[in-house]
Amino acid sequence: MNKFFTKKLSIIVFIFIPIIFLWHPNWLGFLGVQPYWPLFWLLPWAMINGSINGLVFGLFLGLILDSLTLDNNFSQIPGLIFCGFLFGRIKSHSDILVGHFRYGLICSFGSFLCGTLYLAQILFRNFSDGNFLMFIPGVKNILAEVFLTGLFAPFICSQLIRMFKFSRRN
Amino acid sequence: MLNIRRISSGRWWHKKKIWIFFGIFLFLVFVRISKGSLYKDFFYFISRPFWPGQFQKEVILKSTNQESLIRLNLLNKDNIRLREILSLQQSSNNDNISAAVISRKTGGWWRQITLNKGSNHGVEIGSTVTGPGGLLGRVNNTSFFTSSVTLLTSPESKLGVWVDRSQINGLLVGSGDDHPSLILYSKKADIKVGDFVSSSPASSLLPPNIPIGIVKSIDETSQSKKTAKISLLAKPHLIDWVQILKLNI
Repeated sequence: MNKFFTKKLSIIVFIFIPIIFLWHPNWLGFLGVQPYWPLFWLLPWAMINGSINGLVFGLFLGLILDSLTLDNNFSQIPGLIFCGFLFGRIKSHSDILVGHFRYGLICSFGSFLCGTLYLAQILFRNFSDGNFLMFIPGVKNILAEVFLTGLFAPFICSQLIRMFKFSRRN
Repeated sequence: MLNIRRISSGRWWHKKKIWIFFGIFLFLVFVRISKGSLYKDFFYFISRPFWPGQFQKEVILKSTNQESLIRLNLLNKDNIRLREILSLQQSSNNDNISAAVISRKTGGWWRQITLNKGSNHGVEIGSTVTGPGGLLGRVNNTSFFTSSVTLLTSPESKLGVWVDRSQINGLLVGSGDDHPSLILYSKKADIKVGDFVSSSPASSLLPPNIPIGIVKSIDETSQSKKTAKISLLAKPHLIDWVQILKLNI
């Protein structure tokens, strides 16, 4: 049983992403915005398992998270697929300290990418109304999300990479 | 030598009692000049618990509340009776379901709350959700035990609303921030900051006359329409309990 948990650690953590996404702890937020939780899992997973795995699990994550949100017209899938593929091409750095900061930067970039793709969908959908009222709140969301994701990534991603590598070895 | 000491200790200004009396005299002079302000202030503090006004204020407030409540009930009954006569849409208090908020996303991209009552408890898609203050949103999705509500602030939310003062209909569109936009498709629409916005009596999606918010600012830059920002009365980021209203169409 213990061995099963050790081997499937990454999948068990994967199951918890939608739960933390739903939980939405406000005390961790900034301007009402949360860090983009799925990237914290996707980065270690894609770095260890490669681009194709990253892409597939980006799609899976997108499907699950889209099912939890009520916005039928907008999807998180494009951003997560792109991030999954991109993260798979990154190799881990030998210097631990540099590695930590790299996770922060990479996740910030990923969050920026996902946020921009999401905002693009919203603006495209509301383009016919000429409704650019959504542009400023959207940019605020992206900036807050990028900041928080970059802040938390060094702590969470480093731990997850260590755990996933350990579970792979066993 | 001894005589000199006796004489000096016998002077009136060497007597302590005299100085005490002098001090008291000065104090009384001060009291007289200040017209007893010290006494009055002291009395203010010690008599505070026994002021008649406090009790009286409570009684008046209580009776005013009771009067308002009775008047509200009478108006409500009147409203229901008139709506029955005119065969208009109704909402009944008997069909309300109380639910707790178990997950909330009130900032960022997704503006929704999840409630602890679902299809098992009779919640239907499209039901109206209100909280202390007024309208919060509409049920968009139900599971067996939970239901998800699209908030008025969500970019997905579009509802017909009513400006009470000028009696005009408008469209309330969520813009992804805390203040949804009210769009009035007429440049001449009469709207002012501070106007009260409620659900439209003509709406087929919502029960009529549910308070929504107050006009916060008006943008008149567009050629064909007026846009106003609305400050919502119900605050979804603070509310823990809500009411789900069933719509009788």
